[in-house]
Amino acid sequence: MSDHTGEPHLPPPMHTTASGIPMPAAAGPSDVAPGLEERLGRPGEYPFTRGIHPEMYRTRPWTFRQLAGFATAADTNKRYRMLLDRGATGINGVFDYPSLRAVGSDDARAASDVGRGGVAVDVADDFDDLFAAIPLDRVSVSLVSSQPVGAAPHLAMYLAAAERRGYDRRALAGTSQNDFLMETAITIAPEALPPAASFRVECDVAEFCARELPRWNPISVTGYNYREAGADAPLELALTLAHGRAAARELIGRGLAPEVALPKISFFLDAHADFFEEIAKFRAARRMWARFVAEDLGVSDPAAQKFRFHVQTAGVTATARLPHLNIARSAIQALSAVLGGTQSLHVDAYDEALSIPSEHAALIALHTQHVLLWETGVAGSADPLGGSYLVEHLTDAMEERVAALVDRIEGMGGLVAATEAAWVHTELSKRAFADQQKLEDGRRLVVGINAGLDDDGARGTGGVPPTGAAGAAKIDPGHVEVKPFELPPGTLEAQRRRIDAVRARRSDTATAAALETLGSACTDGVNVMPSVVAAVAADATLGEIGTVLRDRLGRWHFPLW
Amino acid sequence: MVAAAGSSPLSGKAVVAKLGMDAHWRGVIVVAHALRDAGMEVVYLGHATPDQLVAAVVQEDPALVGLSSLSGNHLEECRAVLEGLRSAGAEGVPVVIGGTIPPSDEPALAEMGVSGVFGSGTPLRTIVDRIAVLLDA
Repeated sequence: MSDHTGEPHLPPPMHTTASGIPMPAAAGPSDVAPGLEERLGRPGEYPFTRGIHPEMYRTRPWTFRQLAGFATAADTNKRYRMLLDRGATGINGVFDYPSLRAVGSDDARAASDVGRGGVAVDVADDFDDLFAAIPLDRVSVSLVSSQPVGAAPHLAMYLAAAERRGYDRRALAGTSQNDFLMETAITIAPEALPPAASFRVECDVAEFCARELPRWNPISVTGYNYREAGADAPLELALTLAHGRAAARELIGRGLAPEVALPKISFFLDAHADFFEEIAKFRAARRMWARFVAEDLGVSDPAAQKFRFHVQTAGVTATARLPHLNIARSAIQALSAVLGGTQSLHVDAYDEALSIPSEHAALIALHTQHVLLWETGVAGSADPLGGSYLVEHLTDAMEERVAALVDRIEGMGGLVAATEAAWVHTELSKRAFADQQKLEDGRRLVVGINAGLDDDGARGTGGVPPTGAAGAAKIDPGHVEVKPFELPPGTLEAQRRRIDAVRARRSDTATAAALETLGSACTDGVNVMPSVVAAVAADATLGEIGTVLRDRLGRWHFPLW
Repeated sequence: MVAAAGSSPLSGKAVVAKLGMDAHWRGVIVVAHALRDAGMEVVYLGHATPDQLVAAVVQEDPALVGLSSLSGNHLEECRAVLEGLRSAGAEGVPVVIGGTIPPSDEPALAEMGVSGVFGSGTPLRTIVDRIAVLLDA
């Protein structure tokens, strides 16, 4: 690029999508392969390319499910209730890093992260506070318990809290994220369970839910996070589908009927910057999953063939400079999710690159969803881009690329084996670095980072983006008008007092016996979930349960470097 | 990998680590690749407690310590790391940090002895250039 020479800059690359699929300058009939009608079907019908419901949002509006979680359960409960009061229709609860890993707030390694990045939970009482005054039979609750080591005890604690309030567990509707790849490849932390063990716990939770919690989605395959860690769109979807395949085969192998097992698996995808490529990805996802279920598993029940998914706009595209531009980015990304037929949506807050979202930023994000559904008219007709030469062309191209990657993963013995072999880590980090290099040399432009605004931030550059470090240097970070999140003082102490109180009231003998039973379940290969539920009933803490799982199932070192 | 001779902008060894329980690795691995490409030998520790990090610094005697945090734990963790380095007599090694760091926290980090803060969106070229200046000083 020519940022140091004063020569004219190249226009941004437009001849391919972000992942490198060639983009027709003007798509026409010849860009769409024959047999389109068979590849599409009608909305609500196999292969569900056009959506899983016949009338989509007319009859089933997507759920406004804004992510929230910080400090103590009482603090987060206030945020949940504020969001519900202001028009959210579901809860999306995120936990702090120690809680995700089933590490106690009283562990020395946890101290600086208690209540950061999510809410701190240690005992079932925290779930009493977290969901106080929220009608759990009417509001669906997504627990962003991403790692199986935490997902199992979190669900047991949620169940204990709900049953204490008199709810029948069969009435509880919600989702546990519960994704072994989150534990072993996507988010790092000391002492991850090994991939096969984490996958086993994931499927233990799913099997338990298939038998006891009919309205619960016990696995949400988190393609979103695969993408944020470095995947491009085809790799995001390939890892997602490969994971879904592994879980489906495992659950059916455990003796669950496919019609029961398959609807237990749901999905979570990213809405990234490249508008049409993302829409193509959402559409291809539905078609590929339906065909796997019908053709590979031989299951003809339509309910078992539907790829149901949640979407979050791409946190990784949010910039710290000029943070209010993130409102525009998120809105456009959210539109792609709606045009792609999502069932549920989180829109990122504009301060995402700087801090835990402020209340103001969280409300702007929620109301962006209202603008989409209520003002724009985009939800009135199912799959409005179906039949577009460009979108059908990209959907087919996406499917072809994803299928090649899925075949490659299956050839390695499936996703668990590919993770053990560090293939997943290598592919993600390679792409993350390549993507950063594109940004460095101007092959990818991001306004506020390497393009678009000059010294005073007020005027554009007439469509000629400055690129590279010279462009970046012109942005004044003084335009940031975001008040960063401050952890309420006393969060750590409150959490530790709560653990102490539970330990004081319980029978240590009974707790130790319940933990020993859990340890035996780990070693004997029986489903761990019933003994996790029993350990919670005996007032075992999250950290104690996590320690048993790690001691008995093993600790794994990330092959990242 | 040993630093290439000649035109590489950087040389010497960097000890790189994640702080606390923060789970994001994308940034730290990308920057570690960039430091290696720029000529440094990178020792990536993964997660380290302040004690583990200080022990690694004493053992490896690096030219640079690079830290990463996106969870908001940077003030507590950096304070513990810098104090640990001082107690171990290793306060001479420059410490830099990258990640989701609110600009308003930069003065506090500087006061603790952190030599560079690379917030979200900092180009790799800027990071390498600033580290080169830091190591020449």
